[in-house]
This record gives sequence, C-alpha cells and structure tokens, in this order.
Amino acid sequence: MDFGFTPQQEALKQEVRQFIAENVTQEVIAELESAEEGGRGPNYRGLLLKAGERGWVGMSWPKEYGGQGGSRLNQYIVEEEFSRVGVSVGGAGSGAPAILAAGTEEQKRYFLPRIMRGEAVFALGFTEPQAGADLAGLQCRAVRDGDEFVVNGQKIFTTAAHYATHLYLMARTDPEVPKHKGISIFLVPMDTPGITVRPLWTIQNDPPAPIGTTYGQRRTNEVFLEDVHVPVSCMLGEENSGWYVGALGLNLDRVGASRYLLSVRRDEDIINWVKDNQFGGFSPGQDPAVRDRLAELWIEAQVCRLMTMRSMSLVERGSKFSYEGSAEKVFSPEHGVRTTETITQVLGPYAQLMNGSLGAIEDGLFAHNVMGSFQSGINHGSVQVMRDQVARRGLGMPRG
Amino acid sequence: MDVLLNEEEQMLKNLAREFLEKECPPDLARAMEADERGYPPALWRKLAELGWLGLALPETYGGQGLPLVYLGHIFEELGRAIAPVPIHSTMTAALAIARDGSEAMRREILPAVARGDMVLTWAFTEGDPRFLPQSVQLQAADRGDYFLVSGAKMFVDNFNVAQKCLVACRTAPGSSGAEGISLLLVDTQSPGISATQLSTLAKDKQFQVVFQGVRVPKSNLVGKQGQGWPVAERMLDQATALLCAQMVGATRKDAEMAIEYAKNRVAFGRPIGAFQSIQHLCADMIIWVDGGQLLTYEALWRMDQGLPASIEVSQAKAFCNDRCEAVVRSSQVIHGGIGFMVEFNLHLWFRRVSAWTMRLGTSFEHRARIANGLLDQPGHVRLGESMYQLSPSR
Ligand SMILES: Cc1cc2nc3c(=O)[nH]c(=O)nc-3n(C[C@H](O)[C@H](O)[C@H](O)COP(=O)(O)OP(=O)(O)OC[C@H]3O[C@@H](n4cnc5c(N)ncnc54)[C@H](O)[C@@H]3O)c2cc1C
Repeated sequence: MDFGFTPQQEALKQEVRQFIAENVTQEVIAELESAEEGGRGPNYRGLLLKAGERGWVGMSWPKEYGGQGGSRLNQYIVEEEFSRVGVSVGGAGSGAPAILAAGTEEQKRYFLPRIMRGEAVFALGFTEPQAGADLAGLQCRAVRDGDEFVVNGQKIFTTAAHYATHLYLMARTDPEVPKHKGISIFLVPMDTPGITVRPLWTIQNDPPAPIGTTYGQRRTNEVFLEDVHVPVSCMLGEENSGWYVGALGLNLDRVGASRYLLSVRRDEDIINWVKDNQFGGFSPGQDPAVRDRLAELWIEAQVCRLMTMRSMSLVERGSKFSYEGSAEKVFSPEHGVRTTETITQVLGPYAQLMNGSLGAIEDGLFAHNVMGSFQSGINHGSVQVMRDQVARRGLGMPRG
Repeated sequence: MDVLLNEEEQMLKNLAREFLEKECPPDLARAMEADERGYPPALWRKLAELGWLGLALPETYGGQGLPLVYLGHIFEELGRAIAPVPIHSTMTAALAIARDGSEAMRREILPAVARGDMVLTWAFTEGDPRFLPQSVQLQAADRGDYFLVSGAKMFVDNFNVAQKCLVACRTAPGSSGAEGISLLLVDTQSPGISATQLSTLAKDKQFQVVFQGVRVPKSNLVGKQGQGWPVAERMLDQATALLCAQMVGATRKDAEMAIEYAKNRVAFGRPIGAFQSIQHLCADMIIWVDGGQLLTYEALWRMDQGLPASIEVSQAKAFCNDRCEAVVRSSQVIHGGIGFMVEFNLHLWFRRVSAWTMRLGTSFEHRARIANGLLDQPGHVRLGESMYQLSPSR
C-alpha cells in the first residue's frame, strides 16, 4: 500500500497549477460559462493545444495515437487540476477510454488526436424518453442496409449535442434477441443528414450556474434521428456488443477526477468560507454543532478521495472492476448531496441567494448547488442501479 | 499511490486468515468470555512463533521491523476472527516503549514481548473519558529516585494477565494541561495496587486499577519527566489506528455473514437477498466497511512515513465508530430473530464491534479534533493536501 505521490508527481501538480494560473484567462472562462459554446470556443481550444504541447492531454494514451504512453495516475493528477477550473483534458467523458478499448485502428487514429486538440467532441446519445436507468430497453433502431445502417429514433438529455462533432450513439441492431444482446454503438458525425437537435433548458440556466456548480449544466438537448445513414465503419466494437462496450466506457467515466470533484468541491468551499467570513459578528465556524457536522462531511470527502484512488489503482494495475466503481458512484454523489444540504443549514437564508442578488454568497454557487447536486446520483448509473450492481456483481446476491 | 495490497501484504494477510480460521474458531472467543485469564496461552505462543508479536518491533530487540501497515493487516485478520488474545494492549505499550523507552527498558521488555513471554497493558482514562491532557489526574509524587503513585484508572485492558502497565500520570503537582504529564511503566504486581474487573458488553477483561502509594523507580519513565503528553498522544494514535483495523476486520466478517444468510434465508417465496431493500442495505454495508478500511490504512501508512497522522487517525475512528456500528446492527436486522439468540454466533462480533466504537475516542471527540484542524488553523483547506500545512488564504 502506498498513499503518497512521488516527488515527480508532486512537482507535476505544481507545474500544472502554475500553468493554469497563467493560461486559464478570463476569455477562456467566459467561453466555459457560455451555454452555447459549452466551453469549446477558440480560446478554450487554444488552451487545450498549449496543454497538449506540455503532454498533458491524454497522458495515458498510447504514443501512436498522440498520447504520452504515461501513467493513468499522472493523468489523474493533471485532470484534477484542470477539472477544478472546468477544463477537460481528455479523461473521463471524452469518449476516448472506450475508443481506446474497443475502437478499430482507423478509429483510434482518427479520433484520439482530434479529441486531444478539442476538434472531436462527443455527445452521449444513450438515454431515450422511455429508457433511462433501464438503458438496455432503448428503442432507437439501426437497420443494416449494405455498407450502411439506417437509424431512426429519439434521444433525450443529450448534453453537448448542440456543439458536439459526433454523437456517441447507442441503438438497437437486433430486436429479436434479449435486450442487452441486440445493441450496438456508433460514432456518428453530427452533420449527417437526418439529425435534429432541440434544446432542453435546465433549472440551472436562469440565472446561469457558475462554473464548478454541481451539476452545473444549463442546457441539454433532445436529438431526433430520421433515416440517418451511418457507414458500417462508424460502429464501435462488434455488432450487438454495444451494451458491453458502453458499460466499459461508463465504468471508466464513473471514476476519475471530474466525478470526484463534483462530489467534494463544496466541502472545501464551505469550510474555507466559514473560515474567512461571519454574519454580523456570528461565526458559524465556532458553533459546535456546525463544527461537528463539517468534520463529519470532511471525513466522508476523504472516503470519496480514497475510493477514487482505489479505482485509479485498479486501472493502473490493469485489473478489472468488480464493484468498486459502482461503490464510488453510490458514496460520492450522496455525500455531495449531504454537503449541499448541510450548507443550506449553515448559511440559512443567505444560501438561497442566486448570482446577481444583493448579498449572494460565492456568486450563488451554493444556491445553484441545491438544484443540481442530486443529479450526480442519477445519471451515469443511478445510485439505486449502482447499489444493485454492488449487491449482485460484487456480493453475488440473487436477482429479484 | 497504490492503495491496494502489494504481493507481500496479500500473502501475509492470506496466511493470517488461514491460520486463524484453523486455530481460532468463534467457539474459542465464546469460551474465553467465561475464562478467568481471558485468552488461551497456547494460541498466544503460536502468535509469537509466527512472528506477529514482534512484527513491528525493531530488529535490534528481537522484532522484524516491519511497517505498521503490515501490523494493521494482522490486526484486521485478528478482528475478523475476533481472536481472544491480549495483543492490542500489548502492542500499544510495546510500540510506545520501542519509540520512547530507555535502552535498558527496550532490552528488557521488547524481546520478551516478541517471544510471547510478556503481556503488557496501558492505563490512561480516569473519570473524564475524553483523551485530553486534563483527563489525566493520577498523581505521582516525585520522591527523588522514585515516584509515589496514588489514584485510580478505569478501563484498563487485560490487567489480570499483564506483567507491566504503561500509566499516564501527573508528576508535577498542581499542573493541569499537557505540562507535567509523565508515562511510567509500572509492574502490575507492585505493592499497593488493586484491581476490580468490570462487567462489559464484549465480556472482555477490563479493570479499574487503584494505586495506593505505589513506588515506581524513576528509571521506569517512558519519555522525559513532565513531558509525557506527546508520548501519550502518539501511543493513543497508534492504538486507535490499530483498533480501527481490528474493527474493520470484524465488521467485514460480520457483514459477510449477513450477506450469506440473505442468500439462503427464504421469505415470501424467495431468498431475502433477492429483495432490493436487503440488497441495497448490503451494498451500503460493504461500501462503509471499505471506507473505514481505506481511512485506517492511510493513517497507518502516514505513521510509517513519519508524517503527522492525528487527523487521519481521527477520520478513521470517527467513521468506523459510526459506520461499523451501522453495519453490525444491519447484520442483526438481516438475521431477524436468530441473531438475537445466544447460541447463534453473530452476537460475538456484534457486541465486540459495538464496544470498540466506545473505546479510544468517541465520534464527537474525534470530529472535534478534525474540526480544530479544519477551522482553527490559518489558511485554506484543500482536499488531498495535508491539513498540517494549510495554504495561505486568498
Ligand atoms: C443534466 C443531465 C444531463 C444528462 N446528460 C446525458 C447525456 O449526455 N447523455 C445521455 O445519454 N443521458 C444523459 N442524461 C440522462 C441520465 O443519464 C438519465 O436521466 C438517467 O439515466 C436516469 O434516467 P431517467 O431520467 O429516465 O430516470 P428513470 O430511469 O425513469 O428513473 C427514475 C428513478 O427511478 C429509479 N429506478 C430506475 N430503475 C430502478 C430500479 N431497478 N430499482 C430502483 N430504482 C430504480 C432511478 O434510480 C431514478 O431514481 C442526463 C440527465 C441530466 C439530468
């Protein structure tokens, strides 16, 4: 067991912090805050290129696809620093882990360098109006026609679809077999004819959620697919193996820096806030009940961190997950909710003030968080479904 | 960073588990609850032969000099087997002596401990059960080349079988806080000592020990006279972390028994383990044990690195106190009525884990320590960074 980072890794951390302080400019932040660009504007891409020159994007990817062939842990260190300012450097959520694991040579060569440069951005087209937690029940159909598939169906909550270059699409390719066995994944260019994107606005849009809010998403989308012709070469993994390819990507997505930070950032924020502030002479940080509760949350946050490190250790060793990713995906989001709700009781009426309001604390961050923190426990595998997986896959308990 | 066990650790743990499954069945724990000594000397001897008693003691004194993390693995397995041996009290005192005892004392005590020839214990608590300097009131009057100790200690483990007891006392009359505290290694057979056994939830061996003018030579000081608080604090932190390892081991076994039971017990035409409400309870149980385990080993690892670890120790103990109790209680619930019956073994784990949550610091106490680190030091906290060197405020 080793709970420390090496001196080189500590130095890397400092180097990235320095870089961020110098390069994440107001312009980059403005792009990140824009719901339309979703943080993919020219300044953001410029930043990504610069980070790429340092070798910090896709650090653990193989060299032949533009990565560094470096350790996953180093990538984590870089990711954590960038995630703190809302910048994704090609870890979880980029689509890259699944492409690396299941893609063809051609797909890897095409996508990975483009993901690195911010030129290929995926929207995750999994959820449908009638298939959320029970994702395998999805109905979107892809029918083979020569060298192509013809896709018809509807997706919902397809975040990033309005600025993504590609749809990471899950569709049914065989309706005759059990539901998990007839699904395939396609990497579909968004400009393919037949794709329509309609916005869905979230309760965090008005006023706009500050960067770093959990969940902090202002806009998502519905995507309609009508006779969309997709070449067979766009399929990721084998035909009808999409459930397993998708699960692999999701497992890798459930762990890592951005997920972790989503759940624990508010712990730091509230503690540092009460250290620096008081209400007309009353200092919540001196209230014994508040102190006890904040300490309790801090302990939980350490568990979130250590569970993240456990997942990283497994990935680094090349071991398979049993239940560890799912366990983390239960404990961390629920912790995030407990913190958020505690904050409302520490700050009282001040916690309701949104950005722009007289007296708003931390630009309305805590108020926004009330709306979003529980979302983290619903998507990418709801906490209920994750508990099912811990019990069934991890503990071998029988199906109902 | 690799929070999983390395090959050597895994091997040690497997060996420990195999050995204890064979040599230490639950019936032994049950039998020792009614035994006058409270432990089987034959098993103790075997632990010595396996090298466990000297595992983390220095090689110069008959030990193996292995990290505390390794000792943690052993404690975890001993906890799993609810092994009725006085190893926790012995190691607590022995590690303190190894670090802060005199050369002569180390030579006398440590090889004997490693060989299995000596059982040790320690005494801190009196009236106020908190682990604070002001809780220590036992007076030790300075009489030149010896101290005269008078007063009483509570909750002293295994005093009936220990040869020596490491006692926290005040050697400066009228002192109150951390100043004036000393640690003395007291012979348990010294004239003027009497002990009364307490009747406890875990049916373990704990005593009230009364000192009436007990003479203790000055050479028995562990650490410097009047400067014993940091020595005591380190001892308590190590003892707490090792207790956490024991709790984690016992709690995981307890949870596994409930999971097994749920797979087999049928109600409403199916195994109760097929009901989602039971599955989710079991999922949480395992998640909580895992959390306690990770926190515990981080604390032990930091001690091995010579890094400050008191906050990490408190994190582990506060979490284990709350969550291990929740796990063993849930196991009882999953077992329905049968777990409440004395002939069924589950309560052996339940009562012990519950009792351990009450020892070496309550959740409130440990969280108060953490809150102090979080809120009363200048600078900002940041997750993943040590709280012992906070970053400057914005
Ligand atoms: C802001 C936001 C962004 C999103 N982004 C994307 C995206 O980019 N791409 C994408 O594909 N999807 C996305 N999603 C969708 C998200 O993954 C789904 O909302 C999620 O899978 C849940 O599906 P649902 O909303 O249909 O809820 P349902 O599946 O209807 O679930 C409702 C409730 O029932 C519970 N439940 C369901 N099954 C069980 C069971 N077996 N046992 C116990 N409880 C159960 C669930 O846990 C949940 O609490 C996003 C959602 C949001 C809110």
